[in-house]
Amino acid sequence: MVNKTEEELKAAFSELTVVKEDYNQKGYHLSCDVAPKDIAAVAGFFDERRFYLAVELCVDYRDYLEIVYIFSLHMSLCKVKITVKIDPVKPVLPTISGIFASAYWYEREIREFYGVLFEGHPNLTYLFLHDGIDFYPLRKDRIPVTDNDKRELSSFSPEQSEDSLCINMGPQHPSTHGVLRVVLRMNGEYIEEAFPVLGYLHRMHEKMAENRTYPQFLPNTGRLDYIGAMSFNLGYVTALERLAGITVPERANYVRVIATELNRISSHIFWLGAYLADLGALSPFLYVFDDREQILDVLEGITGSRLTYCYFRFGGLYNDIDDAFIAGTKAVISRIRSRFPLYEKLVTGNVIFVNRTRGIGVIEKERARKNAVSGPVLRAAGIPTDMRKLEPYACYSEMNFEIPSGQRADALDIYNIRLREVETSLQIIEQALAKIPEGPFMTPKVPKKLKPRKGDIYHTVETPRGELGIYIVSDETDRPYRLKLRVPSFSNLMVFPELAKGNLIADAVAILGSLDLVIPEIDR
Amino acid sequence: MARFDIDRFGAGVFRPSPRQADLMIVSGTVTKKMAPVLVTLYEQMPSPKWVIAMGNCAISGGPFVFEGQYNLIEGVDKLVPVDVYVPGCPPRPEGLLEGFLKLEEKITGKRRFPGPVQRW
Amino acid sequence: MGGLVKLLDTEMVRLAVGLVLALGFVVFNALILTWMERKVAGHMQLRIGPKEVGPFGLIQPLADATKLLGKEILIPKAVDKTLYYLAPILIFIPVIVAFVVIPFDSYLLVKDINVGIVVILAFSSFTVLSILLGGWGSNNKYALIGAIRSVAQNVAYEIPLLLALLSIVMMSGSLSLKTIVEAQKGLWYVFVQPVAFIIYFIASIAETNRTPFDLPEAESELVAGYHTEYSGMMFALFFLAEYTNMFIVSSIAVTFFLGGYNGPFFPGFIWFLAKVYFLVFVIMWFRWTYPRVRFDQLLNISWKALIPLAFLNLLVTGGLLKL
Repeated sequence: MVNKTEEELKAAFSELTVVKEDYNQKGYHLSCDVAPKDIAAVAGFFDERRFYLAVELCVDYRDYLEIVYIFSLHMSLCKVKITVKIDPVKPVLPTISGIFASAYWYEREIREFYGVLFEGHPNLTYLFLHDGIDFYPLRKDRIPVTDNDKRELSSFSPEQSEDSLCINMGPQHPSTHGVLRVVLRMNGEYIEEAFPVLGYLHRMHEKMAENRTYPQFLPNTGRLDYIGAMSFNLGYVTALERLAGITVPERANYVRVIATELNRISSHIFWLGAYLADLGALSPFLYVFDDREQILDVLEGITGSRLTYCYFRFGGLYNDIDDAFIAGTKAVISRIRSRFPLYEKLVTGNVIFVNRTRGIGVIEKERARKNAVSGPVLRAAGIPTDMRKLEPYACYSEMNFEIPSGQRADALDIYNIRLREVETSLQIIEQALAKIPEGPFMTPKVPKKLKPRKGDIYHTVETPRGELGIYIVSDETDRPYRLKLRVPSFSNLMVFPELAKGNLIADAVAILGSLDLVIPEIDR
Repeated sequence: MARFDIDRFGAGVFRPSPRQADLMIVSGTVTKKMAPVLVTLYEQMPSPKWVIAMGNCAISGGPFVFEGQYNLIEGVDKLVPVDVYVPGCPPRPEGLLEGFLKLEEKITGKRRFPGPVQRW
Repeated sequence: MGGLVKLLDTEMVRLAVGLVLALGFVVFNALILTWMERKVAGHMQLRIGPKEVGPFGLIQPLADATKLLGKEILIPKAVDKTLYYLAPILIFIPVIVAFVVIPFDSYLLVKDINVGIVVILAFSSFTVLSILLGGWGSNNKYALIGAIRSVAQNVAYEIPLLLALLSIVMMSGSLSLKTIVEAQKGLWYVFVQPVAFIIYFIASIAETNRTPFDLPEAESELVAGYHTEYSGMMFALFFLAEYTNMFIVSSIAVTFFLGGYNGPFFPGFIWFLAKVYFLVFVIMWFRWTYPRVRFDQLLNISWKALIPLAFLNLLVTGGLLKL
């Protein structure tokens, strides 16, 4: 597939120099520098070949700004990095949001963080930030936001029109699980348009990464997605190990898989409880908490914390597992298994639940691709893509597991996929427990001051919510030059305005819940 | 069986509206974008009202304070008066429970259970 | 002494005493029910509920009520003051009136009106009016949507509720609650009219805005629904009315279908209260088990299922009575 894409790309754009990259080091197969005027055509090329836009980001190299597009395929491993260099003083670039819907928000993000103007973008207003910030935060030099730009950025106000009812859901609404704000323009109880407003928990993780050394940023990963902290931890650690060429002992890899999967289970069942609370049934929440508490106990035994784990280290683990952990994990597996019939009976078999969730928020395959949806939502749409299978990290390649997939991607389908994924995770843990080797849990010679090679890497892992992509640019110092997180909840939330349109407000709550959003992760 | 049931102390009733609330638990980082909302919420609550700052983020900005930060309120007590601080990142459930008991102590003047032994 | 008894027996005094007692009972009942709800919720959710304040947490509702009394009465700037004040007071009228006609026992009855059930149903429409006033007067979008939902829901569910009760009225040939109870000395109507009972029970849950039909105050959608802007004692009045309404619909169910105060060994009112609180428990059980239905589904259940079924039931009842 890589060769085919390379040839086609060369044939379509003869003037471009397509570079074949070392996938193991860089995380992408091809890279290509494109002139600003060609970017729309190149994006169209990838759109025709059913690529999705995994992430669009900007790096400030002082002499020029570089916009990076990562195009990726769902069913086979082929990643292409397209870069565009633009002038830092007057950064202007044509938009591709008309081709890839996922670019719509990424471009707004770049606009407010870097000041890049995307020509033809329909709505370049504040998404994360607000008019209290008078410089472009992620630029290396302090570039002030001009008054004119500020006015343009804050020009969005959905409440303007007279005869429509606008409802502010959030940032302190009970069912947004955090500080997400969605402005709903209503017609009676029906939603005409939904505008998510983010950034109420924007904690500057990406800016912080540039101010911290690599190990210092490690605790931040646990605070990004506080429900599935292990996966973020693992993603960051494996990305850095790949970049710096650190090998990991076999035993550490197995423990990483076990811990991550345990965390995934706790995340999924936590979602189950929270989702039902959204639908009005409050009791299941307490039942899943009971189960989750068991998992937390086991993880607390080895990591020392309940929620924001920081267990993995570059080259291994923080400490070794003991017999109590293995016994506890086995107990958790049998316990969760024994609870399935209960959930089946009380939730899956509940007429009200089924009627509330069936047929709402249907995500077609095409829409899923255009919006770069990932994780259980994507699999429910019938595309069984899982980074654990597609580009295995840790020791997932040695595990034997099935990826569940649905058909319609309505809320009920997503619910079913999540429950089946719990089962998948249980299987992986069982296999890992059976095969776990003896040996060291840490590579002995990891330098205290990590200075990876010059270059960049795009590394992906599968978090409970979907594809986490970490793009790191290293300039051979001990801190990242640029660290960009492609977070799954962010791209999953992007489909919400389309799904909510024309639905009842109650459905909007059900759809929002089914996407399993974690706000700190979206806002970063 | 649930382990940390604050309803035992009568603190379990969930009211979604600030108008019916007595206590605001600020359980996360307060950003500059959230600050006006938070102040409004506080003002919407009828007095007597109390605030618990839960976690290091709400107390002082916690790990997210660094030179050149542009979006953080370094401590919710810069916006609203805080009665009880519950440290931790994040605090353990027992910590929050202790926070409730501390608040109770502050209001009634006496402690429900003999507290942890003061060793220093 | 004789004069005093005579005085006490006059209509007006009896009514006055009854109303005062009813008021007392309303508060007492609400305290009991809030405690019960929290205990039921606790045990259904693998917890134990309140236990620290008083034995078994029994003093907890009292402590909460005291707290609510001490809260600031906060009037938002944008509200329509008249409507805002009127709503929580108005919601109490049907509640008090209903207590006048409900027979707690063969002698524990304020006034046996021969159109008792009509009085209750007529006044119960006040509830929806006051919710509408509260929602509109609050000048809050969530409250307004909650109020609109409440009106649509109440209109839809009052019809099957009435029709279900009508079949019992046809069988007993009376609108007086006492007569209906007396008619069930032998066989409870629930065994004769199971369909009517089910229809009534579903409709009554919807009328009291309880889960799975608690759309006017659905907290995951509408924050707190029509009482979003109410605080302190004004909110407590809504709360009180909700719990009293639960008691009233359950006591009508008991009166019409479960033999009222009839029962062996114990005094009548104990039987009556036991049955009522059992039904209240069932309503709570629903709340802590089911998710919430969607608004269009809610209306569909009523218009497409309950109302035709109730009509059919009425038709069959009438036909069988004629034979």
